[in-house]
Amino acid sequence: MDKNIYKPIRCMVKDVITESPTIKTVVLKPEEEFSFLAGQFASFTVPGVGEAPFTPSSSPYDKEKIEFTVMRTGRVTDAIHNLKKGDIVGIRGPYGKPYPLNYYNNKEVLLVGGGVGLAPIRALFLALLETINNYKRIVFCCGARTPDDYIYKGLILDRWHQLCEKHPLSFRITVDKKDENWKYSEGVVTKTLDGLDIDIKNSVAVVCGPPIMMKFTTLKLLEIGYQDSQIYLSMERKMYCAVGQCRHCLIGDLFVCKDGPVFTYDKIKDKPNIWA
Amino acid sequence: METLYIARNNWDSFIKGKAENIAIFAPFEYEGGLFYSRVSPDIKKDIIYNRARTVEPLKLFLAPFKEKVVPELQDIPEFVIMGVSACDINGLKILDSVFMEGDYKDPNYITRRGKTTIIGFDCMSPYPSCFCELVGTHPYPMDGFDLNISQIDEDGFLVDINSQKGRFFIGNDQKFFHASKEQISKREQNRHNTTEKIKEQNRDFDIEHATEKLKGAYHTELWKHLKDIENCVQCGSCTNNCPSCVCFLLEDTGTQEEIRKVKVWDSCLFPGYARMAAGVSPRPTLYDRYANRLLCKYWYLVENYGKIGCTGCGRCIAGCAGKIDKRKVLTEALRER
Repeated sequence: MDKNIYKPIRCMVKDVITESPTIKTVVLKPEEEFSFLAGQFASFTVPGVGEAPFTPSSSPYDKEKIEFTVMRTGRVTDAIHNLKKGDIVGIRGPYGKPYPLNYYNNKEVLLVGGGVGLAPIRALFLALLETINNYKRIVFCCGARTPDDYIYKGLILDRWHQLCEKHPLSFRITVDKKDENWKYSEGVVTKTLDGLDIDIKNSVAVVCGPPIMMKFTTLKLLEIGYQDSQIYLSMERKMYCAVGQCRHCLIGDLFVCKDGPVFTYDKIKDKPNIWA
Repeated sequence: METLYIARNNWDSFIKGKAENIAIFAPFEYEGGLFYSRVSPDIKKDIIYNRARTVEPLKLFLAPFKEKVVPELQDIPEFVIMGVSACDINGLKILDSVFMEGDYKDPNYITRRGKTTIIGFDCMSPYPSCFCELVGTHPYPMDGFDLNISQIDEDGFLVDINSQKGRFFIGNDQKFFHASKEQISKREQNRHNTTEKIKEQNRDFDIEHATEKLKGAYHTELWKHLKDIENCVQCGSCTNNCPSCVCFLLEDTGTQEEIRKVKVWDSCLFPGYARMAAGVSPRPTLYDRYANRLLCKYWYLVENYGKIGCTGCGRCIAGCAGKIDKRKVLTEALRER
């Protein structure tokens, strides 16, 4: 008998971290081994409430725990925000195709994350750090609406920033609207792409954020010379089964769950309502 | 494929005998429609042979409207579904592709499918909504069944044996004989007559090359002038009655102690179907949703599984609350492509 594809692995909630007024990170300890590659996602069950797909935000190399950074937007995410240490939840997966890291070898990798879109990029960034000598350089552009909305501030503004001294790594940090304590730039995340000194021909751009942010970032990347196939976009759709059966996540004829969730722009640009 | 002949009265007693040991579901007439019921001495009606498709699609047996999937179904007894029309047997091929033949297998579907014997029927009295000939299939099954029954006259049937399971079902019963050339050619004549009837009733419609012509026809504007679409009340009748519509959602009904999941049919015509948590839908208008169904049937499923998702059963037409004839909408949509 095959394993029941809908049956999640039970996990204990080890911690719930408040990242911003609308975003929390839950730290889970799965009861069985669960591993994933950067870019893959899991289906997260809150028992009795529902299930929703999320890309983990922790390192794929971390075998002890798995983290999900979740914005409160609906029924399931409300329930995730209400989780307490010791609660039991479920995850199943991993699903979808990972980022093709081999293909990024010897390239300049541009990461662009906005708001809660920094969560999947964090997992990717941590995976890239493990093999950082494989890449020519990493440029990490981060955006959020306000300083309060910034997630992973301790990492982005401090711990990760310190890595720039030893590694070919740089950050470009912005908020849409700053406050009096903000020391970095102000403006939407596409502004961080102005004056980018990068060898575009030998680069890939990875984008994750709200649809409107992904749309304008893609347009900007095309404007500064990126080709469609160099732009990696994390797509989101309503999803139930996560295994290519329930058909909710179709973008045209493509399944976000198994053909994605990351697509290069050339694969999806002619599909309907991709920025919905 | 081996073809046998059996006299009708012998077949009747053969099935009665079989039904004592195994559950056999067959079409019976209720209020003018054909519905599957379990063959038993309690039913004071006759099985309806070789008329047309049932009201319910075959998928009700294999992927029911609502079922628990965590925990999965445990072992179930063997059962037989008799009187399956070719359009439903062709729909079954899509269900198999989706739920059984990919990397991920639906646990309940494979349990049920393994226990199912399919006995097909030739159709001899198609409904006005039937259009299998338009989608390249016929009112009699070519494959995908264990046995198939063709009535050749008032007194007898031909029985095609298409699998070990079918052969096992027939066993060593001495009432079956090899079909004669005359009997086979009588069946060919019957099949030809039904085929011609279906072609004739569909001569105003042209959906040839639908897959090629629908490629890229996503945009709302392409569908807005097809006024019939406005009559859609988004009830989900077409998707529920379709033998190859597979969309479902999952509900969580359990507790932290025991995670439970229930699978329920969903419909891409429902406004909430694709709506995401923040309230945005990639298919915001009725036109987007109606178009999606046709694109899924005639194009996406071809990309995903190499088969079109429409079997021409016509249930989406017969059951449409808005009286939309999909053949007409499709013919008009394709005329401009």
